[in-house]
Amino acid sequence: MDERSSMQRVLSRIGLITVVLSVLVVLGAMFLLGRFGADIPVDYNDDSDHFKYGSLGSEHEFGVPYWIWRALPELFQDKLPPPGQGWQSVGFVFEPGKDLPVGMSKRRYLGFDLVWLNCAFCHAGTVRETPQSAPKVYAAMPANTFDFRAFMRFLFATGEDRRFTPQDILRQIDTIRKREGLRRLPLIDRLVLRFYGIYYMRERILTLRDRLNFIKDEPEWGPGRVDTFNPLKAYFNFPIDKLPQRERIGTTDFPSIWNQGQREALKMNLHWDGNNVSLEERNRSAAMGAGITPPTGDRPRMKRVADWLRKLDAPPYPFKIDKTLAAQGAPIYKKYCAECHGADGKDFRGEYSGMVVPIENIGTDRHRLDSYTYDVAVNQNMIFAEYGDERFSHFRKTFGYANSPLDGIWLRAPYLHNGSVPTLRDLLQPSAKRPKTFYRGYDVYDQKNLGFVTDVAEENGKKFFLYDTDEKKEPGNSNQGHEGKRYGTELSATEKDALLEYLKTF
Amino acid sequence: MADGPKKRYGWKLALLVLLLLVIVFGAVGWYKFFREEPQPDWVTATPDMRFKYGSIGAEHDAGLPYWIFFVLPRMFPEKLPGPGGYASLGVAWEQGQELPIGFTKKVVGFPRVANNCASCHTASYRKSPNDNPVFVPTGPNHTLNLQAFFRFAVDCAKDPRFNADEIMSQIALVYDLPFLDKLIYRYALIPITKKRLLEREKQFQWVYHKEFPLWGRGRDDAMNLTKYFLLNWPMDDSIGPTDMPSIWNLKKYQPEKGMLMNLAGDSHDARSVIIDSALGLLAAKPHDSEDFRKQIDWLVSYLSEKQAPKFPFAMDAKLAEVGKGVFDANCARCHASERTGTRVPVEEVGTDRERLKTWSKKAAVESNKVVRNFGIERRGLVENEPSGYIAAFLDGIWLRAPYLHNGSVPSLRDLLSPVAERPKVFYRGYDVYDPVNVGFVTEGEEAERVGTRYDVSERASGNQGHEYGTNLSAKEKDALIEYLKTL
Repeated sequence: MDERSSMQRVLSRIGLITVVLSVLVVLGAMFLLGRFGADIPVDYNDDSDHFKYGSLGSEHEFGVPYWIWRALPELFQDKLPPPGQGWQSVGFVFEPGKDLPVGMSKRRYLGFDLVWLNCAFCHAGTVRETPQSAPKVYAAMPANTFDFRAFMRFLFATGEDRRFTPQDILRQIDTIRKREGLRRLPLIDRLVLRFYGIYYMRERILTLRDRLNFIKDEPEWGPGRVDTFNPLKAYFNFPIDKLPQRERIGTTDFPSIWNQGQREALKMNLHWDGNNVSLEERNRSAAMGAGITPPTGDRPRMKRVADWLRKLDAPPYPFKIDKTLAAQGAPIYKKYCAECHGADGKDFRGEYSGMVVPIENIGTDRHRLDSYTYDVAVNQNMIFAEYGDERFSHFRKTFGYANSPLDGIWLRAPYLHNGSVPTLRDLLQPSAKRPKTFYRGYDVYDQKNLGFVTDVAEENGKKFFLYDTDEKKEPGNSNQGHEGKRYGTELSATEKDALLEYLKTF
Repeated sequence: MADGPKKRYGWKLALLVLLLLVIVFGAVGWYKFFREEPQPDWVTATPDMRFKYGSIGAEHDAGLPYWIFFVLPRMFPEKLPGPGGYASLGVAWEQGQELPIGFTKKVVGFPRVANNCASCHTASYRKSPNDNPVFVPTGPNHTLNLQAFFRFAVDCAKDPRFNADEIMSQIALVYDLPFLDKLIYRYALIPITKKRLLEREKQFQWVYHKEFPLWGRGRDDAMNLTKYFLLNWPMDDSIGPTDMPSIWNLKKYQPEKGMLMNLAGDSHDARSVIIDSALGLLAAKPHDSEDFRKQIDWLVSYLSEKQAPKFPFAMDAKLAEVGKGVFDANCARCHASERTGTRVPVEEVGTDRERLKTWSKKAAVESNKVVRNFGIERRGLVENEPSGYIAAFLDGIWLRAPYLHNGSVPSLRDLLSPVAERPKVFYRGYDVYDPVNVGFVTEGEEAERVGTRYDVSERASGNQGHEYGTNLSAKEKDALIEYLKTL
């Protein structure tokens, strides 16, 4: 009996210990799951805020821990183009009271607040009436100040720098948090960043650098421009150096992305070369540029952006319009422009509206056209495979550029697909008389010529980008084409004035 | 007494649980590895679509798991002939289609990719560099670099990066595999695929032979394929890359009139050729012999009726009429007569002989035996020594460039020149058409970038022979060429 009861005691003790241990393990697991398993994006009630700061899901694959994002421009301020100006230095736009720039979203994932890009980093910009006015942010306009390459250059430079260590970065985070009256980062966060996160991030930055290394051989993009389809070739891991030279430059302006619904309804060819008629597909493709992957895109939040952009109107011209003069411009528009660019700023219907004009006819710089090839188009067919209707099936190689409706055209300067013509007034000149060089990236508006002021080289230490239209020096930058009687470059001065006034109403 | 039934009951329960487990595992195993799902309806919507994308059953033994197929070009771009993923192999890939023509996707347990006839037998051409390609099912795929495709698969498997960790992390970037499928890929499909591809290396030895010239685009070494794959013979010293043929309008071959098929008359009739080629794609005995027979029946009827495409450029009808006279006087003797479709002795036609040395009576006898042992009835391969080349039917000849069995002569105009004046080096596999000379563009920057270099001095690539019509006047040649466009 005694033996048995002592045995029972031992057993019951083991049982008790097992139970306690199990409870502890379960509690621990629940804590870790809660701490690291959550996937919660920041949401906004307002659609416009969602567009500017909401998530597409790009943080899943590319997310940077929020505090590292904060620390980088301070720790590596010497690597920024105008040193010490924070993320603004590469052209990010900050609204008052916001800690993240327009185009950057936040999501709780893997136990951290991760930040990364959404549509607005390329499709939101600013306008000032005078150098003294406060900049007004316009969602869905081309990101006229954002310099994508400067951003990447900075990011890659940090990854290459010897200060990219857990010690240096955590110390910088401490400094910022102390300055802002916050306690030190919790121990568990410090541990993960200290022994894993920061090394991993550095590795990812350097991998991305190697993948996009080829861009350094392209002529400078400057603010407001991007090469859309060569990075896609890098995504497919094509050996870029083996591609023919003529397809290795594809620099274009960011487009405006309002009024997508009518474009979709009229089955317009989207992208500068009109390579896709499917709005949904074009959106998914662009979202990949912001960092989503087929498994990680946040479908409901992507859809919210897409639906909003379908209905979003172009912002009306905020300055004075001479109504009488504009009325005189209407028949001129109808005669010269409407066939290709649509009835007016609200009604996009026109005989050739949204269709591709052969390159021989339009005569604009052909680099962007050549950068998109048949091989790229067919490889895209495998993107989103096994995700039902989401698989890409509408991309087509074209042989010209697509006619675009002119909604909100006042905000879409500089003009032509490569942004080679500063103002609408310049565009109504034959190419020989268009400016040979001009500055881009300045956001003060030029009401007389319709476009941004392009003769300012520098402001408060920030240097603007000198755009050179000489195609021998800067291939891809030619300002030729879209000229001749048919294109309005032979109109009289008064007719041009009237036409420009009318275009303000778009 | 009380313990007895309880114990027996427990034993029974254990057995029942075990049985249930076996059933569940069996069912899941069957579902995950063997269940067959029909291809989607669009695949069989039209005969041409079925020919281009329809499964002929090759997924069972020759198929690659879909996601491995998907990530290979991204993981190993350096093993492809150039940038462009699978497109760099010259596959006929339609815009909007997930897979190139001739690549079939089918669920057998899991999605797999294999090939059908259309991969080698779909032609493409562009009317100008500013045009997208037109694809012609049953035409010769003159752009496909089949040898590079074979090598790519094996080279990938040989690379140490072909491992579960690397492949799974690549797949994770493009698809969120369910947990069980992740396990299946990691522990079964990836290692098994690697093993199978490496096993192929032995059979593919001759594809890597250092002294053999490369096939280049648009050619394959068909009879050697049969020897090494179907018969498992050891590698010999023969090499005979030949043009992929067009396979439209097969009803023109009338075996009862003594006509034979294949470039050297190696096979008795269309059905035999289709069966043998399909077996090559299956790389094994058909999984379902009834289904295989049905596929063959369908292919025989489709390919019998399918007609050659019309010449897509303007033609001069009057000139062609004159050309008909030239044709009747000079060409009809072999190409529109009783002799068409029968063997012309190699001594007579004088073209490159290497292709003939790749085949033999012994090979034919043994191959017929193997296929018979599969339980497949067919007239089969011709059991005698190869002695010459078939006098070709000329329907759709405009799209069958380059010419002669080994594709050694770029255009019809070149073929009407004496051997000494035919191009010695040119580039094959570029798809822009040359309506003046009737053939593809074979020189210039783009042709050289896209195409593979063809050197007539290389082994099995000689452009000698068939010196017929070479003495015609320039005018007669123009007329004859115009007429040939109409065929």
